[in-house]
Amino acid sequence: MKHHLLVYLFCFSVTLVPIGSKAQTINVLEKASNKGNHAALTVSGYIKDAANGEGLIGVSVYVKETSTGAVTNNYGFYAVTVPPGNYNLVISYVGYAKQTRSVDLTDRNIRLDLELQQEGKELQEVTVSTKREDDNVKNIEMSVNQIDVKTLKRIPALLGEVDVIRSIQLLPGVSTVGEGATGFNVRGGSIDQNLVLLDEAPVYNSSHLFGFFSVFNPDAVKDVKLIKGGIPSNYGGRIASILDVRLKEGNAKKPELNGGIGLIFSRLSYEQPLFKGKGSFIVAARRSYADILAQPFLNSDLKGAKFYFYDLTAKGNYRINDKNIVFLSGYLGRDVFGSDFGFNWGNTTLSARWNHVFSDRLFLNTTAYYSNYDYSLNTDLKQKRPNDFFRTDSRIVDYSIKPDFSIALGKNLITFGGQAIIHDFQPGTATAASAGSVRSFGIANKHALESALYIGNEQQVTPRLQLQYGLRYSLFNYTGPGEAYTFSTEIPLGQRREVVTTIDYKGNNTIQTYGNWEPRFSAKYELNNSSSLKLSYNRLAQYIHLISNTTASTPLDIWTPSTNNIKPQIGDQVAGGYFRNFGRSTGTGSEFEASVEVYYKWLQNQIDYIDGASLILNKYLEGDLLSGRGRAYGAEFYIKRNTGVVNGWISYTLAKTERQVNGINNNDWYPTRFDKRHTLTSVLMFDPPNAKRWNFSATFTLASGTPGTFPTGRFEFDGHVAPIYEARNNYRIPAYHRLDLAATLQGRKRPGKRKDDSWVFSVYNAYARKNAFSVYFQPNVDNPRVTEAIRYSVFATIIPSVTYNFKF
Amino acid sequence: MQRFFFIPCLLLASLFLNSCTTVIDAKLDTGPIELSVDALLTDQPGSQTIRLTQTAAYFDSSTPPAATSATVTVSDDAGKTYSFSDPDNDGYYVWQPTGKDTLGHIGRTYQLTIAYQGETYRASSKMNRVPAIDSLIFVKRKLNPLSKNEGYRAEFYARDIAGAADYYRVRFFRNGELQNKPANIITSQDGGFRTSSGVTDGLAFIVPIRRSINPDSLFALNDNVKVELHSLTLEGFDFWQQLRTQITNGGLFAPPPTNVPTNIINTNAAGRKATGFFVTSAVRSFSASVTQVNIRVRED
Repeated sequence: MKHHLLVYLFCFSVTLVPIGSKAQTINVLEKASNKGNHAALTVSGYIKDAANGEGLIGVSVYVKETSTGAVTNNYGFYAVTVPPGNYNLVISYVGYAKQTRSVDLTDRNIRLDLELQQEGKELQEVTVSTKREDDNVKNIEMSVNQIDVKTLKRIPALLGEVDVIRSIQLLPGVSTVGEGATGFNVRGGSIDQNLVLLDEAPVYNSSHLFGFFSVFNPDAVKDVKLIKGGIPSNYGGRIASILDVRLKEGNAKKPELNGGIGLIFSRLSYEQPLFKGKGSFIVAARRSYADILAQPFLNSDLKGAKFYFYDLTAKGNYRINDKNIVFLSGYLGRDVFGSDFGFNWGNTTLSARWNHVFSDRLFLNTTAYYSNYDYSLNTDLKQKRPNDFFRTDSRIVDYSIKPDFSIALGKNLITFGGQAIIHDFQPGTATAASAGSVRSFGIANKHALESALYIGNEQQVTPRLQLQYGLRYSLFNYTGPGEAYTFSTEIPLGQRREVVTTIDYKGNNTIQTYGNWEPRFSAKYELNNSSSLKLSYNRLAQYIHLISNTTASTPLDIWTPSTNNIKPQIGDQVAGGYFRNFGRSTGTGSEFEASVEVYYKWLQNQIDYIDGASLILNKYLEGDLLSGRGRAYGAEFYIKRNTGVVNGWISYTLAKTERQVNGINNNDWYPTRFDKRHTLTSVLMFDPPNAKRWNFSATFTLASGTPGTFPTGRFEFDGHVAPIYEARNNYRIPAYHRLDLAATLQGRKRPGKRKDDSWVFSVYNAYARKNAFSVYFQPNVDNPRVTEAIRYSVFATIIPSVTYNFKF
Repeated sequence: MQRFFFIPCLLLASLFLNSCTTVIDAKLDTGPIELSVDALLTDQPGSQTIRLTQTAAYFDSSTPPAATSATVTVSDDAGKTYSFSDPDNDGYYVWQPTGKDTLGHIGRTYQLTIAYQGETYRASSKMNRVPAIDSLIFVKRKLNPLSKNEGYRAEFYARDIAGAADYYRVRFFRNGELQNKPANIITSQDGGFRTSSGVTDGLAFIVPIRRSINPDSLFALNDNVKVELHSLTLEGFDFWQQLRTQITNGGLFAPPPTNVPTNIINTNAAGRKATGFFVTSAVRSFSASVTQVNIRVRED
């Protein structure tokens, strides 16, 4: 542990050194400015929602006179630096009334905190996602999708339950292996290549009920951002995408109660101001109740069968003074499924953050987090049998600290910082009891320290050209105490490699170290006011891996660090895009926004498995792994109507994703299980002007079938017929398409009453298509000589539902 | 371990979802024809049979074509050679004992040699130790949680031999008839599940394995039940486990379809490949009838 701490301290002090000096420079600047002799002055502050005091992310602060500006960060803070003078600031945010403020920046820096009013008729003309006026074109970000919760809540949802991860699967470049599969695939990446952050703490399994729902309670979520490319240097650790979910801070103006009653689970959340408006909190909970409802109908054998999930999300903040705000957020969730044989998994995250404004232009956020994911499997879930059971337990625990600085210097916004993560892997303990004898066995824990330092700059080179560039250095130490193995290299690739030597590492001695430079670059050039070209390149390194050998990831899949046998995954991506807005102006943006993006990715050290790999409780797991390379490329087309009676978006993705692993598929390239050539999604919302209490929405998805491995022969053995395969993923299952519909009826507003309620009626899989999740081949149970191709559909019918939501 | 996802999945399916499976038409290509070896040798008295066939198109539901005119011999590390012959040309190659001789002996390693159509194939396998089965009992239960009908659930007791990892296959017979559905392929390491740990080493076979010897309908009163415990090599264990996985492979958590491993190696690496397996097992068995003597009344 000493070793960990040393490295961490080193990391932290390195990041602190420049801060001291920067902070000093700024003090000097401020002093100078007080004398009326200065090169540049800054206006800065927090921008919040007037209704509930929530900080607003991505608000545009535009200086009319200089045509420059800034955007509020993840905490609602902005800083604009300009030469001394009098200026007019235009503050705009989609869905909120635009404000213009004149500021006197002739002789000193100004602190300007603002609250924005939501536009009155927001429910009639709901705007979709993007925050800033013409953000699509003007923002340097590319390959980024943002969904606000208002939009999220209108998308037709499975069983009426709004879900973050199912919703992002409607965005270009995002797909899934199939319904019910855990996680999501971004631009040809596997599910463990997405960094899923909940208030900056990573969530290792983002699913409830396998993959049908995600762990994010929509009542507590403020903002969801998916970064697929051009990933800035402050993010790292995964090679495909960053899903950054930010929780609400809680209503700082008045108490608020939200809830919903659905067919599968219910939600309740409460928020309230604290300390006379200097703080606030939110607590939100959900629990499924199919088990309770079903209990009276279960006969004795199933009585006591467990199948439920719950989660609790909470966050509080306290504003110490103008310069310091602290936040504390946490998540606790669990799934339990099974009868005699069952499993149990859950995440716990806790993150503490401190926002500090050093000066008007230097902003610090320090996050410290804890994340724990544990999962177990046992044979006596329903009824404890102390004499006869088999149980396994595994977990991964992270502790991390992450200081992140940003400083506004004229046309530059410089960010720098670092991160240190202590990973503690507990791959498994097993306890077996049989006829009264109890044995237990544990695979040695694995330890690692992942650290990174980064610096980046967002630079307005000319009014039309903006660059974002940065560099991240990541370092991974795989350390003791623990055992390190070496494996035979004599065995042909594709077969189990036997362990040759075992070395026992005591203390914190390093077993293996990996370091990677990760350059990041993005550029935006505005062709004119309504169109721009963007280009980006990034390299990302990933040091921890999910070992999963099934079609859909199971909750029991194993997270493992890079070791002396497993190299870190490296991903390089180049992307280019054309962005354009058109149509009438809505006051805060254009009616339509559109984009075309192309990307190409190279992936190194992708993990695959020998045939018949044994993953669970295998301490020599590394001997069953293979390493290969990947490539993915594609084009994404996206058009969105921001406003109007009918609004929403249509996206089309043309993509290909492949792997090549020595020892698999005769060493030839093969398509991955989630490769889809074509994907079309559309989300349409209809707000009838003459039925003010009703609104409607529909989503349609059409996608190529995913690949499957089909047999090309058979042989008989002891009365069984076994398949023979020649190539992996050599066929495709039938195409997928599905229509979902939803209608929302707002309750009647009673004068003087604060209650606000709505009914959501939804229909999933409206025309009851039996979409294939997979096609598999089996002998007929009664006559094994007759072999059959079987289409497996997860949802084979229409699924209607009703949800009642309320707010006090 | 994949097979145990079945229960939670069944729960899910029946309670929340409406998943379904449909038999569909599929057009498949056919790969090259190969020799297929079905060789299960035991330490039991009597004749031993090795079946040679040819592989076929996946949807070809006829009896597989016999591989005839092969020369089949088995030799052991004690210097004995056993000849298998196929007098009726049906692909069944038989060794007949002379006198009281048995082919298999625990601890010996056997090598199979097949000369077929100009190619020579070899496989080798050790005959490992196996414990005795101590008892077999029955408990009256519902057929499954959702059924009203009842039957007798069988449960066998045996204790894993302590020490080195042991690999087993369990077979069972109902009134003399081998229960041989894909789901009846039961394998066990040290009386428990496959792990690298040996956590169940020396223990009595754990509950899920003990109770694995039941048909879907359970047993009826007065049924005669016979259980066999076969020893396996690690390779043989992997073969059976993969065979089961590959022929029961579907649903949300299906592992990737891959070829079942083989230990039949062409001595000429560039020559035609073969499939199938050469398995050598020592066998212990136990029989009991579903009668009051063997029936227990238990909560669980």
